Amino acid sequence: MVLAFFVRGPIVDRVSDEALRGQTIVGGIALLLGVFSISQVHWRRIASGHADRGYSAILLVCLVAMAGFGTVQGVEAGGVFDWLFERLQAPMMATMFSMLAFFIASAAYRAFRARTITSAILLLTAVIVMLGRIPMGQYVYDGLPAWTNWIMTVPSVAVQRGIIIGAALGAASISLRVLLGIERSYLGRG
Amino acid sequence: MRFWEKMQGIDRRVIFTLIFASVIVPTLWPLHLPTAITPETQAFFNAIDSLPPGARVMLPFDVWPSTLAETEPMAVAALRHCFKKNLRVIGLSNVAMGGPSIADRILKRIGDEFGKTYGIDYVNLGYKANYQAVLLGMGSKIADIFPTDHHGTRLDSLPLMREVPNYDSVRFILIVSDNAMVDYWVSLVNARFGTPMGAGVTAVMAPKQLSYIQAGQLHGLLGGMKGAAEYESLIGYVDKANRGMDSQSLIHLLIIGFIVLGNVGHFVVRRTKGRGGQI
Amino acid sequence: MHDLFSSHFVVLFPTAFFTLALYSFLYRDNPLFKLAEHVFAGLSAGYYFGLIFHSVIVQQLWMPLTGDHDWLLVFPALLGAFLFARYVPRFSSLARLSLAFVIGSTAGITVTQQLHGLILPQVARTLLPLTSINNVLLIVGVLSTLIYFYFSKPHTGPLGWVASGGIGFIMVAFGAHFGYTVMARVSLLIGRMQFLLGDWLGIAR
Repeated sequence: MVLAFFVRGPIVDRVSDEALRGQTIVGGIALLLGVFSISQVHWRRIASGHADRGYSAILLVCLVAMAGFGTVQGVEAGGVFDWLFERLQAPMMATMFSMLAFFIASAAYRAFRARTITSAILLLTAVIVMLGRIPMGQYVYDGLPAWTNWIMTVPSVAVQRGIIIGAALGAASISLRVLLGIERSYLGRG
Repeated sequence: MRFWEKMQGIDRRVIFTLIFASVIVPTLWPLHLPTAITPETQAFFNAIDSLPPGARVMLPFDVWPSTLAETEPMAVAALRHCFKKNLRVIGLSNVAMGGPSIADRILKRIGDEFGKTYGIDYVNLGYKANYQAVLLGMGSKIADIFPTDHHGTRLDSLPLMREVPNYDSVRFILIVSDNAMVDYWVSLVNARFGTPMGAGVTAVMAPKQLSYIQAGQLHGLLGGMKGAAEYESLIGYVDKANRGMDSQSLIHLLIIGFIVLGNVGHFVVRRTKGRGGQI
Repeated sequence: MHDLFSSHFVVLFPTAFFTLALYSFLYRDNPLFKLAEHVFAGLSAGYYFGLIFHSVIVQQLWMPLTGDHDWLLVFPALLGAFLFARYVPRFSSLARLSLAFVIGSTAGITVTQQLHGLILPQVARTLLPLTSINNVLLIVGVLSTLIYFYFSKPHTGPLGWVASGGIGFIMVAFGAHFGYTVMARVSLLIGRMQFLLGDWLGIAR
């Protein structure tokens, strides 16, 4: 893959294209490992008489139903698989994440304290940005949207860029270690 | 009465109730507050508006169902803009959990709204695993990665895809994402193949993407529900994002109030305890 | 408002039921929440299975192998099958072949992607003329942030001063990020309320 970046030619391109195609296939099949793993865990709970075995049974029934409908009927719109996704799974996932709003409000009241100058800077900036990004903000103070834009495009960009560069250097060096055989933890023990 | 101590120990369910109320009240009685347009949203609008009719664009729905409240209004508005300008859209997803189904639903709904035909005006390629390989592979030949579309139809039997062997035939990529996929689109596709792109991301992702805007790697950014609301205003289709901004305003004010109240109470209690007195 | 037995109310009732079951956790943990949690987990795992079966097994393997006789696909199919060898102790080492293929090719892509696609463009756009205060602040901010996160040397002397400046920038950026995070989480709640009050009950537009 590194060679394909620098060298173009029929053989390199063909090998690279086949490797990419192979990666998508192997990566997709790898996702099934997770499905088997969760099935194993909950089957063991039922077999061992765990207190929550009833819930595990429900989980496995839903898993088999969804997988079954998807495999037999297909995954397109209009089928039971799609109905289960659109009407149950997707809304439930959205609901779970929406609960974070409550916890963030609770944390704002109980935990966010301006105990030091640095934390005061953080909270003050957060208040300016939260006010500047809502329609009511400009009624509080006319210049808030402009201040917010400046915060987002100068100091915030500077720090985010520093983090991007630092993280990219880290990712590149880890990848190099993998390619050179120095990093072998992904192979597991032995 | 130890007022501030009591306030510090208030049951969190009271806070939850106030949050519920501040969402429900503006939803039932909207305030219709105007939304100011940010330069990044204007740039996103301009980038799509400048494309000629018939141009082919790619619209990756790299979203999880959990963030649809933010990302669906963006995707819907972007599609409406594209179809209004008679652009032709290639949809796909790099998110296994629901991405292709979400793409299917939104493409069909907005496609029907504008009387567009599947296979000619828009296509849903679906999902394939390992996003790095997918993004790089499409630069060479899309049909190698997606031999069929999401519905199992061979790509060479779809008129739109017969014209699009790889990124060279794509004029613009409008990424709608709630995760780090934008980083990969930028660093793999924009960097290697030069395809211009813009992004609609959740508000959590938006601060980071501004670095790409400043570097010229992205041409336009929609940040969260606010970005979607601004875009809806620009294209003239006021929808869910705009309606949600009233609640957003109220909750922001409430949370700022919590921060202020929490800090005031904390410092009053600390100072009084330091004096050894009662509050 | 919708009639109690109107199509929207009835059709969307399962969705609303599980939504409210999950919200019941905000009061306290309860069997209804656990039920919803396990239904969700089961459906999610089933979704992965159905999607991968169609998008990979059928569309990427079965159709090209049986239709176009693209026999090169036998190799990735085998590598995919080897992943499951981990469940058979005698053949578990075969799974390492598949892992090595995926990890190796990903590492190869990542090296050039990070350097060419991220580091070089970002550094290039940081090299700005010192003609405006914003440009100066941007350069100082990037450098001080990088120095702050450099922990191989103690932050003393000039390095320490620059790192301290970096903390100021970082606090401003994190404050802005927190503001946007609040905006994001709140939006998700607004979306659910729009569903419950608008789509299900029909009492909001």
